[in-house]
Amino acid sequence: MNWNLETEHYYVRFAHEEDIPNIYGLLSTKGVVKHVPKNPMVVEAQAMDEARRMVMQFEAKEAAFWLVEEKVSGKVIARLSLQKFNWMNASAQLQVEIFSEHNTQAILAELLYTVATLAFEDLSLHRLEWFLIDSNKRSVELAQAFGFNHDGQLMSYFEFEGEWIDYQVYSLLNTDESWQNAIKNQGLPKT
Amino acid sequence: MKFVANVDFSGGQLRPLAKSDVDSIIKLYQKQTLAGQSEAASKEHAERMIELSVQMAATQRGLMWAIEVEHGGEKIMLGMLSLYDWQPTSLKTLMRLDALPELTSENQIGALKSAIEFLAAKYHLRNFSFHCIPEGDEKIISVLEQTGFKQQARLRDFRRTSQTEFSDILVYNQILVPEPVGDAS
Repeated sequence: MNWNLETEHYYVRFAHEEDIPNIYGLLSTKGVVKHVPKNPMVVEAQAMDEARRMVMQFEAKEAAFWLVEEKVSGKVIARLSLQKFNWMNASAQLQVEIFSEHNTQAILAELLYTVATLAFEDLSLHRLEWFLIDSNKRSVELAQAFGFNHDGQLMSYFEFEGEWIDYQVYSLLNTDESWQNAIKNQGLPKT
Repeated sequence: MKFVANVDFSGGQLRPLAKSDVDSIIKLYQKQTLAGQSEAASKEHAERMIELSVQMAATQRGLMWAIEVEHGGEKIMLGMLSLYDWQPTSLKTLMRLDALPELTSENQIGALKSAIEFLAAKYHLRNFSFHCIPEGDEKIISVLEQTGFKQQARLRDFRRTSQTEFSDILVYNQILVPEPVGDAS
């Protein structure tokens, strides 16, 4: 199975050794990580550690991480991941970390369609979850635009900087009409 | 060393599982109103569960209590109250209550309230969740609501029930809010 994916405008690929500065550039940017939420990285050694964790989690079949490289510029603009693979219940959690200037419906539609296709077709998953915090209004809008269903909320999911974080749970099933339409149209809605 | 404490409630007691509980556990797990229950519940499964209850409590990953009540003049086990996915750093846990029909709602509510009070006082847990299946026993929903739980989500097709079929999960949640410090004046 080929885990390195490609869309019209992007390589959606696993990280390699030369990607440490790319990972650091992305995850040291407050606007990228504030909606996870987590603190931005402050030294490049953290990116090396993060790269190791990405490999370990993939080898343990717990998660898969992709860096998104713009074909034209070679710039890494995002990291996408499927985390908490639950092979018993055929589900995984989607996470998107992206520079805000690239966080548009057209770009996300292109990227998420290719990752969701791998999840539903190659990995035979049934359910993708996207946990979003209330302040991440842009992603909430995009989840709705792509046909994710709002399943409800998970209260006080974890503590971050003295605050209890609630997650809104959005889900996409491979049987959902919105996903079936995406297959028919060869993509998620771009506008 | 004893890892599971006894906790009293009105009309009964939560106590650690014992080897003599095997038959009661098999009976509980044949009920099929909660996730994980099955007609195929066996003696080996019950014995393994009793062993696991000690291991889980020792490592603070979970906890299992027998719910014992006075019934017809003797103390009998009519249910189980369990904690799974216990996350000490996030002060939260997932709970589960398996009850035979003879265990009244009043007893279930009493057991739950006492357990939550105990867990809040001893382990500082503040976030308690339940996963219920929509096609399950409606009585448990009523018990949860009367204990202070609220439905927060319906996770679609969250649980696989066969190779090609899935079922929703209802997430109920109760978060304890510390009482404000009173004004002395």
